[in-house]
Amino acid sequence: MSQLIVNPPPARTWRDIPQSVKPRVMTSEGKKRLALAIGNIVGAVLVLFAAVWGIYEVIGVWETNPTRITAAASGVPLKDISVRTDGVLDKAWVTRTFDIPKGATLMGLNLRQLQQSLLATGQVQSAVVTRKFPDLLVVTLQERSPVARVMALLGGVATPQALMVAKDGSVYSGFGYDPTMTDTLPFLDGVKLVHEGSGYSKIDGMEQVSDMLGAARSNTPGLYRTFRIVSLARFAVDGTIAVKSTEVDEITFGLREDFMRQLARLDYILEETRRQSPFAPLKAVNLAVGGNQVPVAFDIPVVTADGRAPHVSVKPSAPLPFGTALFSLPNRNSSSSKRDF
Amino acid sequence: MISRTKCIGAVEIGTSKVSVLIGELSQSRTLHIIGVGECQSRGVIKGAVVDFKAASEATTAALMAAEQNAGTHIDEVYLAQTGGHLEGFYNEAAVNVSAADNMVSELDIDTVCRLAKSKNLPEGRMVVHHLRRPYRLDGRIVPDPMHLVGQRLEAGYWTVHGPEGKIADNIHVIRSFSLNVTELILSSMAAGAILATPEDRQNGVLVIDVGAGTTDFVLYRDGSAQMTGVVPVGGGHLTNDISLGLRLTEGQAEKLKLRYGRGTIVTKDRSEKVWLNGDFAIGDRQFSRHGIEQITSARVWEIFEVVKKKLGPAFSPEKTAAGVILTGGTAKLPGIDEAAAKVLGVQARLGEAPGWVAENLRDPGFSGVLGLLQYGLSSRAETASAPRRKAAGWVGKLFAIA
Repeated sequence: MSQLIVNPPPARTWRDIPQSVKPRVMTSEGKKRLALAIGNIVGAVLVLFAAVWGIYEVIGVWETNPTRITAAASGVPLKDISVRTDGVLDKAWVTRTFDIPKGATLMGLNLRQLQQSLLATGQVQSAVVTRKFPDLLVVTLQERSPVARVMALLGGVATPQALMVAKDGSVYSGFGYDPTMTDTLPFLDGVKLVHEGSGYSKIDGMEQVSDMLGAARSNTPGLYRTFRIVSLARFAVDGTIAVKSTEVDEITFGLREDFMRQLARLDYILEETRRQSPFAPLKAVNLAVGGNQVPVAFDIPVVTADGRAPHVSVKPSAPLPFGTALFSLPNRNSSSSKRDF
Repeated sequence: MISRTKCIGAVEIGTSKVSVLIGELSQSRTLHIIGVGECQSRGVIKGAVVDFKAASEATTAALMAAEQNAGTHIDEVYLAQTGGHLEGFYNEAAVNVSAADNMVSELDIDTVCRLAKSKNLPEGRMVVHHLRRPYRLDGRIVPDPMHLVGQRLEAGYWTVHGPEGKIADNIHVIRSFSLNVTELILSSMAAGAILATPEDRQNGVLVIDVGAGTTDFVLYRDGSAQMTGVVPVGGGHLTNDISLGLRLTEGQAEKLKLRYGRGTIVTKDRSEKVWLNGDFAIGDRQFSRHGIEQITSARVWEIFEVVKKKLGPAFSPEKTAAGVILTGGTAKLPGIDEAAAKVLGVQARLGEAPGWVAENLRDPGFSGVLGLLQYGLSSRAETASAPRRKAAGWVGKLFAIA
């Protein structure tokens, strides 16, 4: 028997008729039904897609679920600390400050507590402590910059210690600063340090002091280098800042005028005094008065090198004490230096 | 587990009406009829679609009415197929049982069935049904020869086929409502499935579905369908005959047919008259009752004569012990069973739907659509159980080749 007979080709049946018809031959109800069916399919696909997406999202949330991370990372010990700062503190200091016991796990750390330990030092203005899985602790610091020093007797130490004072008045033990930088910082005087917690309360007036010192450091660095002590004794009384420099015992800055202008006057006065009365150093300069006349005081009577009175005008009508005078500043146009006082 | 139900629409696009039933098939394979819809048919002549648009609109109206009645949408359709264009032939094949121990295997059954169905069809025609007659193993009839011992296995199929275009038109009418036809079932097979009991089929029964445009019949013997056929004559011809014979409009003729038409002549008095309308209005006329009966009975007799002629030697009163079952809209004609009995020489009765069918669906006009659901589900159940056999056959083939 041939293969053809054993496997004859099957006859065509009605099932071979293609059932698809063009929409134009459909009845209007059929078209509606078709549109509804397509809509249902599209809807079903969208629902399916949304479901898959939802499952994907749920899995994502589940995988990043803190409780799950806790479970996963609870057994992983801390391997390293990464420190980022805008100041001078380093990883060693952070490690010492944290004092994390060896073998502590990343999830076992109390980040809040660690952050508080950083902020307690005063040098740290803000701190962010985060976990980076699986085993890294990331510390981001924003540090305070010192503008002055203050001597204080710390508990159990006989000799006073120099503490740093930041612009916001915070007092703290500086760590990691370059000594050549800190040595140039003037000391604060006339302030009362009040204990607050483990440190000191903030000193009022430091913002103005910082502005004055900053202006001096950037515009008259020669003058700034001579500043030794900044006194805030009268700050609360009349709003003046007194500075003791190597050249002048007391330079009084007021708050009413721009520090730049006051420093310019001081520079001019010192320069003129050195030129005209080299043997009569200034004892005091009061820049807080304002105007074109600055009260100054000398150690000896005011005479010029050639035995005459200096051409700086001493207001005769003013009943000034011995060795004091009013230093008249020239107009801008008449000044050889063209300075604006 | 989520209970999954499927709504199946049984659709019969007849010459006079389109009938739709909606059955809800549950996962436990129980069927509940939940909706019914009917619409006057248009665009269909003698079971064939001649005006696609009109037929689509009528079918859509019936489908929508059924869906509205059921309150749900149809998922798939079982469609009845009829028409004078359908033809059938019988072809049989025989194979020698291949196993050394003469035990019939799946491979033997597959081979004989394939051979029996392998007869080529005329160009442009396609198979609607392959109706298998009982297997014969060494001449004895066996319902399932698997694992029986014998030498010669025979199988025969009654193949019903029709022109591709007309069958496609029928299917596309359903598609115009955006529904898929999952089963195409011969109208006569559908009617037989619901009306003939297994005992009837075993003893031999002829089911005749007399519709408006066609008369479908199926002859059962030995538990399976032996032969089917379609006569392109139906109740519509009775109306037409009255219309021509009595010079009436089609509507008037239909009215007279329904009121006074009979399958046999019982009126002896030739002078007995009946009124057309009975309202004594202008145009109301009298007609001879005997004349009406004569016209209708002549056509009914002719229909059965044609059926008998088509059945040929396949039909014999001796082998049709269960008689004739009549159904379809025209089967409601009084005396039609007597006519059938006289022509065919066996007892005839009107088909009765099973007891589970609701009262409003027991009309002979619904037997076709009811049978669609019954036949479609039973054939599907057979199809569903086939893959197991198929797998066994493949393994069998593997070992046979080895």
